[in-house]
Amino acid sequence: MKNFSVKHRTQSGFSILDLHGELDAHTASQLEDALKDLINQNRSEIIVNCSNLEYIASAGLGVFMAYIEDVRSDGGDIKLTNMNDKVYNVFDLLGFPTLYDILDDESDAINNFSNR
Amino acid sequence: MDKQTDTDQQNSRFELKTVLETSRMLIESRSPDFVLDNLLLIIMGKLLVSSTAILFYDPESTGYSIIKKKGSVRLPEGPVDIDESKVNIQQPYVLYDEEPGLFPNLTDNMEGSLFFNLRTSNRHIGFLFIGRRPNGKKLQEHELEFVESLTIISASAIANSRMFDELKTTNRNLDQRIHELNTLFDLSKEFNLLTDREKISRIFKFALLGQLFVRSFFLLYKSEDSITPLASSNLKSAINDEISEAVFYAANDVTPVDTALAEKIPFLEENNISTLLDISIQNDKVAVIGVGKRANEKPFSESDFNFLKSLANLAINAIQKTYLIEERIEKERMEEELSIAKSIQIGLLPDPIPNVEGLDLSAVTKSSSEVGGDYFDIAQTPDGNHVFAIADVTGKGVPAALLMANLQSMLHVLLPVDITLAAASERINNLIFKNTPADKFITFFWGKYFHKKRVFSYVNAGHNPPLYLPADSSEFQELSEGGLLLGAIKATAPYEQDKIELKSGDIVVCYTDGVNESLNKDETEEYGEERLKECILANRKESAKTIQQSIVSDVYQFSNNKQYDDITLLIFKVD
Repeated sequence: MKNFSVKHRTQSGFSILDLHGELDAHTASQLEDALKDLINQNRSEIIVNCSNLEYIASAGLGVFMAYIEDVRSDGGDIKLTNMNDKVYNVFDLLGFPTLYDILDDESDAINNFSNR
Repeated sequence: MDKQTDTDQQNSRFELKTVLETSRMLIESRSPDFVLDNLLLIIMGKLLVSSTAILFYDPESTGYSIIKKKGSVRLPEGPVDIDESKVNIQQPYVLYDEEPGLFPNLTDNMEGSLFFNLRTSNRHIGFLFIGRRPNGKKLQEHELEFVESLTIISASAIANSRMFDELKTTNRNLDQRIHELNTLFDLSKEFNLLTDREKISRIFKFALLGQLFVRSFFLLYKSEDSITPLASSNLKSAINDEISEAVFYAANDVTPVDTALAEKIPFLEENNISTLLDISIQNDKVAVIGVGKRANEKPFSESDFNFLKSLANLAINAIQKTYLIEERIEKERMEEELSIAKSIQIGLLPDPIPNVEGLDLSAVTKSSSEVGGDYFDIAQTPDGNHVFAIADVTGKGVPAALLMANLQSMLHVLLPVDITLAAASERINNLIFKNTPADKFITFFWGKYFHKKRVFSYVNAGHNPPLYLPADSSEFQELSEGGLLLGAIKATAPYEQDKIELKSGDIVVCYTDGVNESLNKDETEEYGEERLKECILANRKESAKTIQQSIVSDVYQFSNNKQYDDITLLIFKVD
């Protein structure tokens, strides 16, 4: 059985989603629900911490594509942090670093948001 | 050892050391730029030459261009005119003076300049140009050998670094293909588990957005009667029917949204849709996908579209499967409903058919596969006589069966009440009219047989008139006195009631339209009343049961055993 979970916490006033496990076609809707929740609460400065994300499939990346426009038009952003090499490689293969802020550590993302 | 030899030895040691160091440095480097820069600098420094350049050969355009120059080279970097067919790439170097006109004049005085062949064992990379020394001194034999060694090492280093780059690109492409395959595998597994169209469409959307790196997208699906958007992302306006149709028929394989198409369907440009793609399954165009530009502006490749087609095929197959499953569920539901209707119908019929004093009685209902609304009843009244009823309710299936049940219960409630058939008919009519929509009604015939007086009194509410055949005649009489069918309008005039006096051998045949309206094999002719009458006449000496069986088999024979509607017969013969 696949395990995936999204947990939400707030750090320095920013919404942080902690992803655990494998994000694929089967589990993509959980991430979608979590992002939609934040957007509905007008929380548009979102950090996605991938330190416990073991695998990501295209459907998982698609969720980020589907909501980045909404978030940015509200003046926010989705910043991705703490990826392992395997996960980063997938993002890189499909060209994501040109469109998304992918940072080494959650604190970098917090700094980026704070210094805007 | 004379001085000259000593210098020579020093020189060659120095050259050897340079070649060694250079080769190590060059081979370790993966940058052609670095290799060539160093090659030029070493030559200039070591041989005291004031102008050098690299002429690079491009096998695709079969032309040369200056990609690096140092010193007093007067031509700019860029293409130069060299007749490629006259170039001899077998020699290690070419003297400018030996091939006048072949090479361009890179410096003011080209006399004594050299063009070294940059080559690997199987490939000509270009030329290293070495201008004449400012002092005019020609390169010595050992110097030529030194340069030749350096060019061989440099050429290999460049070839290696190119190969390394190519490998890197190939590896990355392979990684991408593997990822595409994983995506397809992932989705095919997922789709197999899903029967929810909305979920399938959403997963398809995410996989597409992620894999192709696009933001805008829609999927149109053509079902039997309409073209509907099943999924979309980042659209500014909704896709209405008109747009759906225009887009669906505009797509043909991979269709770029050009100026003409954008003008025809402004919706596409408004939503940054750059390409349409149609999806066909067994030559049947079933879906059209529209995608926007990639977020990094990189154009789509053939392989992207192939991937998209495979992905869409998976999704469409899964979506078609959901429709098939729905159809099957619907069919099972209908069958279930029909079996309920049938059991209601059967439950309403008298079982067993009671004995009626002085009469030989037979009644039957043959349900059609769809279950119509036929009904008959035979019930005893408190005065010891019997009431016979035959009816046909509009519609089929459960609704018809429920209306039939309604009629049956009214009939049984009214049996003990001391009113005439005509008055009872009016009550039933008004109740049914009140309780059902206007398009629901019942053709109904009923009669009461007074066995002592052998009188049959009846009311016909819009039903096929039963046929009365007196024993002493070959002429049928129709029992048609009565009024309007039940439930169509509120009774304005009372129902008429009539009676016949029966004697031994008289026959009454009540039937529903399933009998006379049975169609022949070609569906061009109805069984009709004449055939029914002939069949009754031919069997008039037989029992009620035999007459009934003869009619049923005659009808089946006429219709080639195909039955569209219920067939009901209620026959009695006076003892």
